[in-house]
Amino acid sequence: MLHNIARRARHKVLRRQFATAAEQTERDVVIVGGGPAGLALASALARSKSVHNNLSIALVEAGDLQKVRDWQQEPGTFSNRVSSITNSSKAFLEDIDAWSHIEQSRTRPVEEMQVWDGISDARITFAASELSTSTVNELSRLTENLNLQRGLLRHLSQYPEVQLFDKVKVQSIVCEAREENAWPVVHLSDGRAIRARLLVGADGFNSPVRTYAGIQSYGWAYDTQGIVATLFHAPKSSYQGPNTIAYQRFLPTGPIAFLPLSETASTLVWSTKPHLANALKAADPRILASMINAAFRLPNISLRYLQDRILEDQAMSVEQFTNELAFRERSDTIDVRSAYSSLAPIRDNVGGIPPEDADSVPPLVTSIQPGTVASFPLRFSHAETYTGEGSGARTVLVGDAAHTIHPLAGQGLNLGLADAEALTKCIENALLSGGDVGSYTSLLPYARSRYFENHKMLSACDKLHKLYSATAGPVVWARSVGIEVLNELDAIKAALMMTAGSERAGLPGQVGWELTAKSVETFAKNVNGARELADTVKDLLGVGVRQLLQRR
Amino acid sequence: MRIRPLIRPLQFRFGPVAGCIPGTVSRANLSTTIDPALAQSTINQDEIAHFSKLSALWWDERGEFQMLHRMNPVRMKFIREKMMALEDDLDALVTEAEVLQGRAVLDVGCGGGLLSESLARMGAKTLGIDASSSNISIASLHASADPFLDSSSSKQGKRKGSLTYKHTSVEDLLAEYGPASFDVVCSMEVLEHVDNPRGFLHSCAQLVKPSGHLFLSTIARTPLAYLITIFAAEDVMQRVSKGTHTYSKYVNPGELEGFFRTYRSPAPSGAPGRPWIASPRRPARTEAETRGMVYVPWNGEWVLAPRETTWAEGCNYLFWVRRPLE
Ligand SMILES: Cc1cc2nc3c(=O)[nH]c(=O)nc-3n(C[C@H](O)[C@H](O)[C@H](O)COP(=O)(O)OP(=O)(O)OC[C@H]3O[C@@H](n4cnc5c(N)ncnc54)[C@H](O)[C@@H]3O)c2cc1C
Repeated sequence: MLHNIARRARHKVLRRQFATAAEQTERDVVIVGGGPAGLALASALARSKSVHNNLSIALVEAGDLQKVRDWQQEPGTFSNRVSSITNSSKAFLEDIDAWSHIEQSRTRPVEEMQVWDGISDARITFAASELSTSTVNELSRLTENLNLQRGLLRHLSQYPEVQLFDKVKVQSIVCEAREENAWPVVHLSDGRAIRARLLVGADGFNSPVRTYAGIQSYGWAYDTQGIVATLFHAPKSSYQGPNTIAYQRFLPTGPIAFLPLSETASTLVWSTKPHLANALKAADPRILASMINAAFRLPNISLRYLQDRILEDQAMSVEQFTNELAFRERSDTIDVRSAYSSLAPIRDNVGGIPPEDADSVPPLVTSIQPGTVASFPLRFSHAETYTGEGSGARTVLVGDAAHTIHPLAGQGLNLGLADAEALTKCIENALLSGGDVGSYTSLLPYARSRYFENHKMLSACDKLHKLYSATAGPVVWARSVGIEVLNELDAIKAALMMTAGSERAGLPGQVGWELTAKSVETFAKNVNGARELADTVKDLLGVGVRQLLQRR
Repeated sequence: MRIRPLIRPLQFRFGPVAGCIPGTVSRANLSTTIDPALAQSTINQDEIAHFSKLSALWWDERGEFQMLHRMNPVRMKFIREKMMALEDDLDALVTEAEVLQGRAVLDVGCGGGLLSESLARMGAKTLGIDASSSNISIASLHASADPFLDSSSSKQGKRKGSLTYKHTSVEDLLAEYGPASFDVVCSMEVLEHVDNPRGFLHSCAQLVKPSGHLFLSTIARTPLAYLITIFAAEDVMQRVSKGTHTYSKYVNPGELEGFFRTYRSPAPSGAPGRPWIASPRRPARTEAETRGMVYVPWNGEWVLAPRETTWAEGCNYLFWVRRPLE
């Protein structure tokens, strides 16, 4: 009897669902994309009281969010997509109560950074203790993207009113046929259609929302791939500190970064030329591990030699490679006992007291977690605007849909989180004035607060990438003798410190920006010999950043 | 004044400006003597025709009315903050987001409905009236696309607000609804377009309930205002259609204040009550307030000038006055 009623009730529910399936529904905010930016935006909106009282929210994601919710990883192993969450991003996630849903034991603080030049070996080191704010004792927190996304989904599960539609693709977006006040209608692959007061593109680089809005995106692909992998290594000895140092070496082919995840694991982001990336990915993982070790240790000339060997002979055995490596080390007079030798893990582990310079290079990679080697094309892009107009009205872009950046400062995801935070504030403010949150006027403050912020960071990273991959003229000469490099590194340092600072949007790392602007200017002055370069840099970084700063 | 030679030759195009030569501020517009013609319509037919022509552009946020769209949040902020400050029922713990909820609000000269829609979203039972039928059509058409505002939509849910439009004049509405019908009466950027501002203000004020609010925004009759709103906006940059503004119709804050120093609503007994502004010198914070609105071009936004920033009241300004409780 009861059973029967239950069945009938279920039947009714099913029928109703079916009936609405072909219908068109309406939502105030439709977010396309359940990546970090889209989920963070949904979380922040869900958390806001005024949004809760006024707006209905839906998120559409092509992938399976249940897989993200159920994501588990063997202890000690890590996903290969890892981001360094800056202190300001972390503060935002704490504000919206989402940070506590992130599995803390899988995150790793960065307490110190070592950045050096691949040609001259000029080096800067900076630590969390240098931050202007005394309360933070870390520069950033390395967090697997999946850990973050799962945390955001857990947070969102407390807000069932935020509807998540996953495993459905946005098939098309059309502007409804209406004379006055036409809204976008999103057609999903399951036949449903949602009419959106505000359509948010959090849909990544190939953003369908951006295409619908008719917003151009400017930029270029770097002739560079970013190789990622999870690296295993021995724990640091008791003479050293914990594994909380991030390392980055600027090679002429692109920067290579080694970022800590645990005592015995770290993540790799190696930006390099595509053909080289392909050869490295195809090589025996033991060869790749040795190449990573060498890339942090060998002089650039020797490194180039080894790279050429790998390119020439893609079927090279591990033994052959080890011989080549040993040969290069001997000719570079690198003592096998020094921290700069890559051969230790291949021989028996050298125990005892670590060499004195042990902390100036990352721990030696002993193996690579199977299945984690992957690569992504790197590109610079920035949408010409963040808000649609005319027939593309009621649209706004966040995250990679709006901008993609070189990963050398680890900022891509952080910019997306900052976008989500700013858009939430903007929507809350619009509600307080009875504004239509889909209107151009309501969204204006969002674009105003984010566009130039993002642009400064995008161009800073772009210029730095170009400086380091410059292969001609006085720049290379200057680098080879290490004269000017420290100034360049200072700019990187400032950029990293700036976002590491815990100051929030509003007064975000004022000090940091001043520092960036200053060091960039000094740099620009110093390379005056290299005319064209100095001009671009001075224009784009020095003057540009200065003016923007003064406008704040 | 350096700008005078610039302005003088242009004056002719705007018809007779009796006593309103820029720089010599006149108080003639709002003399406070009783005028027998009060009941007469204040509508100016040419103005109606002008705005009807523009009505299709009301909601182009980047077009002719861009400035008005950007001004809207500032107007709403002023309304919200003023009502919040004067919130009588301290026990109710009303938040700024709720301060308009359930209030009967009239928007006189609603145009395309920019302000009316915002008022309704804030929860006010809003009536927007306009003398141009095409404005009312545009406003209704625009709101009908929005399930939040459309009265036929079932989706209004927990929102207490409502929005109705009516093609009528403030005088006819007064005749139809009777005095003291609204908690709040707003009329934004309208005063500078009407023929008989005194009569217009009189009608608006009569519609306000005891201890209710009247919000106005308009343009001061100063050389600065002339330069910005007519010379620059209409003639030089052609941002605004020619003929949108008539300098002689601009009203100064002091003139509005003067009007409400003598304006009295009838007490329940029928005898005239106390004037809306009774403080001898500067109006008390609880009686009336004038706030300048300044456009910051490099931010593309309007800001509300701090209280008593007189220079900022020399062009666009907001005015609030409250009907005494009696
Ligand atoms: C090698 C590398 C290293 C990086 N390291 C860092 C780092 O250290 N720190 C950092 O901050 N950032 C880093 N980034 C950048 C960071 O990964 C991205 O900025 C971030 O993932 C962007 O998030 P998003 O949510 O904007 O977009 P995405 O993660 O691209 O999400 C977009 C989502 O939209 C969905 N979608 C797209 N189209 C549709 C459709 N039609 N229908 C339905 N759904 C759709 C997709 O399925 C996807 O889930 C790195 C990037 C690279 C390549």
